Amino acid sequence: MVSAALVVQSLVLGVLLGGLYALLAAGLTLYFGVMRVVMVAHSAFLIVAAYLAWYFHLRTGLDPLLSLPITVPLFFAAGVAMQRLLLARLHPATRTMMSVLLTFSVAVVIEGALGTLFTGSQRRIQLAYSGASLELLGARVAVVKLIAFALAAAAMLALYLVMTRSRFGQALRATIQHPEAARLVGIPTDRVVGYGFGLGLATAAIGGTALALDSTIYPSLHWRWIGPLMAIIVVGGLGSVLGTAIAAMVLGMAMSLLQIPLGTTWAQTVFYLALFATLAVRPQGFFGGRLAKRF
Amino acid sequence: MQSGSESRRGRRLRLAAIAAGAGLVLAFPAGMADPYMLTVGIGILNYAVLATAWNFVGGFIGYISLGHGALAGLGAYATGLLVTAAGLPSFVALFVATAIVAAIAVPIGAAALRVRGASFVIVSIALVLILLLVFQSWASLTGGSVGLVVPRPFPALHRPEHHRVFFYLFAGLLAVALLVWWIIDRSRFGLGLKAIREDEDKSEALGIPTFKFKLAVFVVSAVFSALGGGLYALWFGDLDPVFQFSVLGGSTMVLMALLGGVRHLFGPLLGALVVGSALEYFKLEYGDTPLHLVATGLLLGVVVMVTPDGVLPALSSLSRRWFGPRQASIREVTAAALLDSRRRGADDPGDGR
Repeated sequence: MVSAALVVQSLVLGVLLGGLYALLAAGLTLYFGVMRVVMVAHSAFLIVAAYLAWYFHLRTGLDPLLSLPITVPLFFAAGVAMQRLLLARLHPATRTMMSVLLTFSVAVVIEGALGTLFTGSQRRIQLAYSGASLELLGARVAVVKLIAFALAAAAMLALYLVMTRSRFGQALRATIQHPEAARLVGIPTDRVVGYGFGLGLATAAIGGTALALDSTIYPSLHWRWIGPLMAIIVVGGLGSVLGTAIAAMVLGMAMSLLQIPLGTTWAQTVFYLALFATLAVRPQGFFGGRLAKRF
Repeated sequence: MQSGSESRRGRRLRLAAIAAGAGLVLAFPAGMADPYMLTVGIGILNYAVLATAWNFVGGFIGYISLGHGALAGLGAYATGLLVTAAGLPSFVALFVATAIVAAIAVPIGAAALRVRGASFVIVSIALVLILLLVFQSWASLTGGSVGLVVPRPFPALHRPEHHRVFFYLFAGLLAVALLVWWIIDRSRFGLGLKAIREDEDKSEALGIPTFKFKLAVFVVSAVFSALGGGLYALWFGDLDPVFQFSVLGGSTMVLMALLGGVRHLFGPLLGALVVGSALEYFKLEYGDTPLHLVATGLLLGVVVMVTPDGVLPALSSLSRRWFGPRQASIREVTAAALLDSRRRGADDPGDGR
């Protein structure tokens, strides 16, 4: 029989993984909210951030976390530019579908560029605390995983505060709820949408740095992330931050638990099975509202 | 009377063009002494079959699937496994495999077609990724990453003859796919499908059994994808999950169809010709370096940004403006384009509307 300690260990790891998924899914939800686009390149940017953190560490020898003050503004700007130059120019009526193709092409270009710049070999950051681990609820957890989770949690909290407490957050939420009404009350929706997009991409910068701490990275890694992330946002319901966060946690834990009997490869299928089960039972997702039904 | 003779002339011109195109295709193997060019030709025909198969879904109902590579991959693996594991004759295996894929496509389509737009695209991506996972991990059956070797159906033939035979087989399959697309395009069924493309809710309200129609055309599309994939397995003789179940492969089909024009019978074929040659050129130029990814991605991005409706419609509207009569009857306009032209208002006279 499987020992209780192993189950606890898996659960803790599942929560830690789920946190990272939740942060990234929040970014995807933000894009969808402000523009009704699905950003397939999100996980490719995640890998870019991980590579930047790795390269930063390689060049300066400093902690990769210190790359965040560079990558976060950079990604914010890249997000605004991408929204302005690419996605805003798509035909509004077919934007949702075409955005998938367009961002997919961005992801492919990024993968190719990373492969050209850094070659296809696997990279890993070696830190003084890479091998360290802590006892947590009777489970042994690597310190880097805890840092990654803390980073994700802090970013989620910051995002939440920006969305609820700041004037910009109010404008952003108004734009998500009803763009035309928001424009009528004087919100510069075009600019707000651009900034919202930048905010979404900034989550990828944070997530990527967290990823670089405890994973081996390579250019085609983004395919391993995009599938689970897409499954999470559909299961949670497109456009619902809370729904996707819950879906991320539940599926992250389910995968972690299923790794015990099935092994790492087959455990990944849980995301896709959940996706197809959701479509069969509740196509708009478990927490999706009116929005999700139409897209 | 004037317009009657005009349209008859147009039809005759079109028939002549099709005959000339078919003649060129059939003469291609004889004209090409270089076996390499022959394999390029087969590759392009294979792309054309798959892009046309994709266009049953993408063109008629407007659902963009990035997962059609998976259906072709399933066809390829089913054919290969039926030959190697079950010992069926090659072409029997091809048709049995197609039947199997059609049967699998029913539940897949039933699940995927419940959602529209972005969710559908996501599901189609997920389909590819899950199959890649399964076929890589289930190494005892599929050979995993080592690959699956499929014996050649005509062991007596030398390599150039083998290529020649398969060139004609692919050309025949393409002709059948185009014919079926053309028939559906002119049928009541096709009219229903196009109504779904323009406005699914309204067409459902008008009594079109939208779900049945969508599922039916999805299965037809799966059948041609599987035939294309299976024929590829028999021709190429070596299958690798990474190439059979790749989102990139599925996206090249979309790229071809979009580039040519999804509303046109020959759109995907034209797209396959352009993109297939381009991909082959990238392969020659950049070899196995990741730069071919960059080139493919840029190509897709440019097509999506610049000509989302395809090259053929742009060309035909140009030629209509220069040579054709001013038309007054109904013509196919997307609901999106209509909305857009209305929004732009009267200040834009449009293209001869």
